[in-house]
Amino acid sequence: MKLLEFEAKELFKQHGIQVPKGILISDHEEAVLNLRKVGPEVVVKAQVDVGGRGKAGGVLMANTDTAVLAARELFARKIKGVKVARVLIEEHLEIQHEYYVSITMDRSTKQPVVLFADIGGVDIEETARKNPDAIRKVSFTPLLRNIPRFLLRELIRDAPSEVGETINKLYHVFCDRDALLAEINPLVTTPQGVYAADAKLIVDDNALTRQEIAVNRDLTRREREAERHGFSYVELDGSIGVIGNGAGLTMSTLDLIDHFGGKAANFLDVGGGADKDRVKYAVELVADMPAVKVIIVNLLGGITRCDEVARGIIEAGVDQPVIVRLAGTNEKEGRELLAGHGYKMLGSMDEAVRAAVEVTA
Amino acid sequence: MIYGDKNTGIIVQGATGKQGSFHINLMNEYARSVGGAGVLAGVTPGKGGREVCGVPVYDSVKEALAEHDATASVLFVPAGAAGDSIMEAAHAGIETIVAITEHIPVHDAMKAIGYAETIGCTVIGPNCPGLLSPGELKLGIMPTHLYSRGHVGVISRSGTLTYEVVDELTRAGIGQSTVIGIGGDPIIGQTFADALARFEEDPQTRAVVLIGEVGGNLEEEGVRSTDLPVVAYIAGVTAPPNKRMGHAGAIISGGEGDAKSKIMRLKAMGVDVASRPSEIPGIIKSLL
Repeated sequence: MKLLEFEAKELFKQHGIQVPKGILISDHEEAVLNLRKVGPEVVVKAQVDVGGRGKAGGVLMANTDTAVLAARELFARKIKGVKVARVLIEEHLEIQHEYYVSITMDRSTKQPVVLFADIGGVDIEETARKNPDAIRKVSFTPLLRNIPRFLLRELIRDAPSEVGETINKLYHVFCDRDALLAEINPLVTTPQGVYAADAKLIVDDNALTRQEIAVNRDLTRREREAERHGFSYVELDGSIGVIGNGAGLTMSTLDLIDHFGGKAANFLDVGGGADKDRVKYAVELVADMPAVKVIIVNLLGGITRCDEVARGIIEAGVDQPVIVRLAGTNEKEGRELLAGHGYKMLGSMDEAVRAAVEVTA
Repeated sequence: MIYGDKNTGIIVQGATGKQGSFHINLMNEYARSVGGAGVLAGVTPGKGGREVCGVPVYDSVKEALAEHDATASVLFVPAGAAGDSIMEAAHAGIETIVAITEHIPVHDAMKAIGYAETIGCTVIGPNCPGLLSPGELKLGIMPTHLYSRGHVGVISRSGTLTYEVVDELTRAGIGQSTVIGIGGDPIIGQTFADALARFEEDPQTRAVVLIGEVGGNLEEEGVRSTDLPVVAYIAGVTAPPNKRMGHAGAIISGGEGDAKSKIMRLKAMGVDVASRPSEIPGIIKSLL
């Protein structure tokens, strides 16, 4: 889960990284009371989960007199389609130099990797493309508690040593907070020291419980429902509802729909060993989408039993046609059950997907 | 048979759970049908001294290995404890660990795999169905009836999609040497490149099917590392960016790892890429 800037900064602060003084408000009236604590010059920032927020007008410069107006402007605006519910007002830093630092995992070496650039700021991707040498990279064993000093020196070269210390603190955030990505862009030097001017933190969903970080941000009702049942679920904009077991097979079903000229309405992986009730919930959930004209159920039973799947489909009894492809454990029983209720069954994935696409053509 | 053979003795960690005991039975059923060693012991801390599905249970891997000659471990331990169990097996001297468990926090996986590999242990997974060498060895949860013995290796990031492809191959009369699921997480032990290196040393394997998906670039790295004829299939052509398609590793982030560019890069390396699973047998036949 991606944290918002103010949430990430709160965690950074707990690990000893300096962040600008700031206040978080959820309507512009709140700003008036506390503004003086922040400073005469301020930065007003929309707290929304979108990339390129600054360029999209989500960050405004202001002073004590104009900050309330700026905040009001942001609350009235949508940034890349997202409504602004919270605004962070921060002190304006006296920036001497901007750097870029991020820590993530390198899938090839299976190790943490730290990226650092002497040039920070908004256009880091552009910098990376035009001048790849500007970005330095080190990776090392995850079994160490700190980034080795020699690697930090290699990384930061002429930058002040406080920059290196901050990067090591960021590594502690990365490890202790189960992060998939920890980024500071820009990391700035000021006469008062080194600061994280912005903060980005993506926490591993599988570690959210031990991190005690709240989930469920900006989910639709159906997404929330899917999560409650433990389904992997993504909403798309087509008219063919898709239910599969296993992430790969379900993804492959979506691709096949596209291949035959149709459009999928969703991705829903019921997971391994789904019983009657799980399948029933899944079918009902997908049928509930107004755009869905037909549902394809593609299940390959290993632990999952085809007769259980068939019972689930029958009990759901939805209005839309359901095209079923069942293979594997108890396939024969499953097919007999469905045939008795008039469901259309097909032997291969290709045939089933073709049939579903025909319904929507 | 590239990670073991008939004689490979197996222990199961997390043996007394529902999944653990269910699959001890299935693995032993398969071992009996091919005359193999099968599962010799189970491990569940605090439950030593019991018996599950006819095999003795021990409190630790170390205790199990004191009594039994096992070199492989299959792990059904719950996500929160799985990282520790991988390190336990590696520390006790197990050579090959298959981690079936899904939802292991990725930092745990990274540290446990890092530790295990440092001491020379091979980790497959996590979040994987394990491996099956038809006629020899089953380490994991793959449904055996779909498989047939032959000369094609299969490496995959996805479980059910593997079964789909194996089913297609078998129905087309193409047998498999070893089928290995390497897992759908961002950090996994054996990668495509690692498994391909083993297939290269295996006289039985003449071509390999590589089943990949969105996220990362392990598929390209694997292909670059091998001289074997490879057919690839990449799932997720229609996956939207920044959405997690079931697998934690199947996410397109910052423009990296989308299926279309992955397919383009593979084709540029001279690999045949199937546009759907049903095309794979035809392409394999043309290569053999």
